[in-house]
Amino acid sequence: MPDYSELSRRRGRAAKADRQFAWLLVGLYPPRFRGDVGLAFVDALEDRMRARRDAGASALRARLAALADTLRNAPAEWIGSRGDRPAEPRQKGRPVIDKVMQDVRYALRLWRRRPGFALVAIVTLALGIGANTAMFTIVNAVLLRPLQYPHADRLVSIWGRTNAYPRGLLAYDEYEAIRAQTGTFEAAGLWFPQSVNLTGVDEPQRLVGSFVSGSFFDVLGLTAERGRLFTEDESAPGTVKPVVVLAHQTWQRRFNADPAAIGATMNLNGTALTIVGVLATPFDPDTVPADGYLSGIDVFIPAAQFPMPHGLRGAGPIMLGVGRLQPGITVARASADVEVLRHRIATEAAAQPQAIQTSGFVAQGGRTLTVESAQEGIVGSSRPALLLLFAAVGVVLLIACVNVSQLLLARAVDREKEIALRAALGASRTVVARQLTIEAALLAVVSAAAGLFVGRAALASLAWLRPPASVPIPASLGLDGTVLAFSGLVAIVVATLCGLAPAVKVARPDLGHVLQAGFRRASAPGRRTRDVFMVVEMALSVALVAVAALLIQSVVAVQRVPLGFDPSNVFTLQFRLPQSKYPTPPDIARFFKTTIERVRAVPGVESAALVRAVPLSGNGGTIGYTIIGKPPVDPKSLPQSYLHLVTPDYFRTMRIPVIKGRDFTDRDDLQSPLVAVINETFARKAFPGADALGQRITTPQTQGPITIVGIVGDSKHYAATEPQAPQLYAAHYQVPLIFSSLVARTRGPAMSVTQDVRKAIWSVDKDQPVWSVVSLEDIVSRTQGQSRFLAMLLAVFAAVALVLAGVGIYGVTSYGVAQRTHEIGIRLALGASGERVLREVVGRGAKLALAGAAIGVAVAVAMARFASAVLFAVRPTDPIALAAAVATLMIVSLAACYIPARRAARVDPVVALAEE
Amino acid sequence: MTIRSVEFHILLALAQEEKHGYAILQEVAAVTDDEIQLEPGTLYRALHRMLKDGWVVESARRPAADLDDERRRYYRLTPAGRKVAVGEAERLERLVTVARAHRLLSRA
Repeated sequence: MPDYSELSRRRGRAAKADRQFAWLLVGLYPPRFRGDVGLAFVDALEDRMRARRDAGASALRARLAALADTLRNAPAEWIGSRGDRPAEPRQKGRPVIDKVMQDVRYALRLWRRRPGFALVAIVTLALGIGANTAMFTIVNAVLLRPLQYPHADRLVSIWGRTNAYPRGLLAYDEYEAIRAQTGTFEAAGLWFPQSVNLTGVDEPQRLVGSFVSGSFFDVLGLTAERGRLFTEDESAPGTVKPVVVLAHQTWQRRFNADPAAIGATMNLNGTALTIVGVLATPFDPDTVPADGYLSGIDVFIPAAQFPMPHGLRGAGPIMLGVGRLQPGITVARASADVEVLRHRIATEAAAQPQAIQTSGFVAQGGRTLTVESAQEGIVGSSRPALLLLFAAVGVVLLIACVNVSQLLLARAVDREKEIALRAALGASRTVVARQLTIEAALLAVVSAAAGLFVGRAALASLAWLRPPASVPIPASLGLDGTVLAFSGLVAIVVATLCGLAPAVKVARPDLGHVLQAGFRRASAPGRRTRDVFMVVEMALSVALVAVAALLIQSVVAVQRVPLGFDPSNVFTLQFRLPQSKYPTPPDIARFFKTTIERVRAVPGVESAALVRAVPLSGNGGTIGYTIIGKPPVDPKSLPQSYLHLVTPDYFRTMRIPVIKGRDFTDRDDLQSPLVAVINETFARKAFPGADALGQRITTPQTQGPITIVGIVGDSKHYAATEPQAPQLYAAHYQVPLIFSSLVARTRGPAMSVTQDVRKAIWSVDKDQPVWSVVSLEDIVSRTQGQSRFLAMLLAVFAAVALVLAGVGIYGVTSYGVAQRTHEIGIRLALGASGERVLREVVGRGAKLALAGAAIGVAVAVAMARFASAVLFAVRPTDPIALAAAVATLMIVSLAACYIPARRAARVDPVVALAEE
Repeated sequence: MTIRSVEFHILLALAQEEKHGYAILQEVAAVTDDEIQLEPGTLYRALHRMLKDGWVVESARRPAADLDDERRRYYRLTPAGRKVAVGEAERLERLVTVARAHRLLSRA
């Protein structure tokens, strides 16, 4: 006997579920409809499900039936369709959506009939939209999106600005004063990334450490993922603690994410530091432009652990400043405030001569403090290049639109007879205009969707092209809401651009004209429109090609700049000695000497030397100097020179010619009087018309006079594009510092000696890590990376534009010729030569191309002004680039005209006239 | 005036008396020997359409309290709706006559 109570309970449960399901389904209908039919609708759905179950169907079956019913009816109710009741002829106010759907169906039918047309149009537009989507994704990620830190709008960099470095470093006492200025800054921190030696592991290794004040974490709103971060007290000189915070990836990679890492010690720069915590990464660092705060940093070390012989306080400006402004404080106001602070500190320091001795920065000519938005500091330099690329893809899209518009128009004109006839019979002309607009919109939507895929592929291939590190393109880019919104906007613009001209043209056909021409053949209306299209297309491509040509010229110019040294077959590496192991200058000098001797003995090494900063590596320094025997100058505005520390043989290794005097020798050491070698520019500027050899100078950083013993040729140091600067070479053995680089000229390929040189250094000190092991040629080519990358991208865009323009011109000309077949046939029949027809068609194209070129040159000059920030040694009006662009376009357009022109010349009069 | 078959069924169901939605559904099933099983979505959409076109209206009259459910809405034919139903019935009748003339149906 069945258990009825159980059955009814189960029924009750099922009924409740039915009820919920019915509510869910009703929710899928438009609210207006729900309001109109009332709650009984829910009951009906529910009752129907119960009835089905009572009739023996399973609950699932009953619900599936209800769902099917809803899916059949709810969407129709949403789009306002009235179902399949046949429309009545005189029925007014048919919903707009119906007409639109009808037009959409009509457009799709046309596409099916002529798939070639649809394919060309969609591919053309998808390329344009895709390129724009990709560029916008980059512009959005780099320039538009704020940094991913809390209160990013108030994050600022605090710079010590000098003539040589607009973005220079900050001294510790300045930082302390800034931190105390709580009216301006909510928080301020110091940081400075530097390589650190990790020892006590299998092989000595180099990590990238960031020496930071405890407040650095507060400024950026960073927190610990595990353990804790260190405090300001633990990082300050005097109270500093031997602690270290790991970056998340270091913890994972080096400690396999082992929680026991907290509390362990790491031997960094010869000091055992206790790991107190792991920094939580607040965002995916791959998706943002590299900011230096977190990207690439392995460990965070208290600022006062920074290896300086006299400690942080006496070291002068050696760290980077970051701050968070109080709400409402502007960058300009903060700049003024920090400058007041600097002035006060400098005045106080000047009152204590001792301070000048230890911190030489007071004497740096015209040094001021400034504040800059942090985002500007990180991405500002890439703005001109990115905007230029963005403008270029915009031009490509415009050309694509012109082409598609042209295609649509040609087809609309083909339908002109039909349209005119319908109009004459009383049909609304706007129907056709609407149909064209809808078709353009449909094209735009389909292309925008395809463009998203093209954009993704473009971004992927961009990563494949490996943008140089100086272009802050995030490693991975997502198509987020902003980008999708941008694509939508582009689609609307594209639809308007493509659909407008044809719609306007067709909505006002010249009835009488068309009907008079009768059904024999249509006239050739829209000729002027087509001419305008061609000129626009040509002008845009000339402009783009010209800008690309300018950039390519600029890249060539950069590569042709004489560097002053010979980068081929030079091997380089960098190292930093632990201060604790090499505490005094003689210790360091001894390491230098032995190392150079051992490296020289390596087979394949021709000569070797040490230099503190390898040219074009980004490292370097400047110094102010005074000439002994000349009237004294204000210590605040000393003449400046680059300062290089080199060992003997450096000039021979780099092939920098010694013009006068001598190179350094091993006898220029800690015991002998200070000597220096200068470059020609230094000699010319400091000793015009006099012999520089034997002259003596002093600098605030050194004690006693320095005698100039040699003059060498000029060379570039920071960039090939920099104006030649005065350079002062000091003897590295007289100023041995813990950070230096090795350069070695090799007989064979530079990198062939890598292993042996490493071993040679480890034979001197087995714990000494080396890094940046790279050939000088690679360093040089890397510095040219950005302009080369930019020129390459622009060249690609220009090529795409040219192809599109060529296709467009070809299409327009072919169409024009096809329309005139009849006329050409008559003329040929009356005795005109084919050659003459050909000349006429090509001549017409050439005339339009010239007009386009003239406009294009004007556009190019305007665009190139925009590009002047990324141009080197090339003026925006450079005639060669402009002429090359015009010539390229003329060739492309003549070729594009020639094919249809030849077809016109070969028209068979009999066939053409029989066509009626 | 064209009319869909679901609409004609609803008009037929409402010809004698006003009914609520679910009752219409049951009536249609009953008169067609369960051959036509209207789904609620189809029914209510059709009703919605017919209300707009003025073929049916919601009735203000309600049955006795013990039989009533306050959520139910009752629908009745308007004169226009009746005219549509009559027109459709006559059209069908004419068609049936033709069918008979062609000997598709045996004479009643």
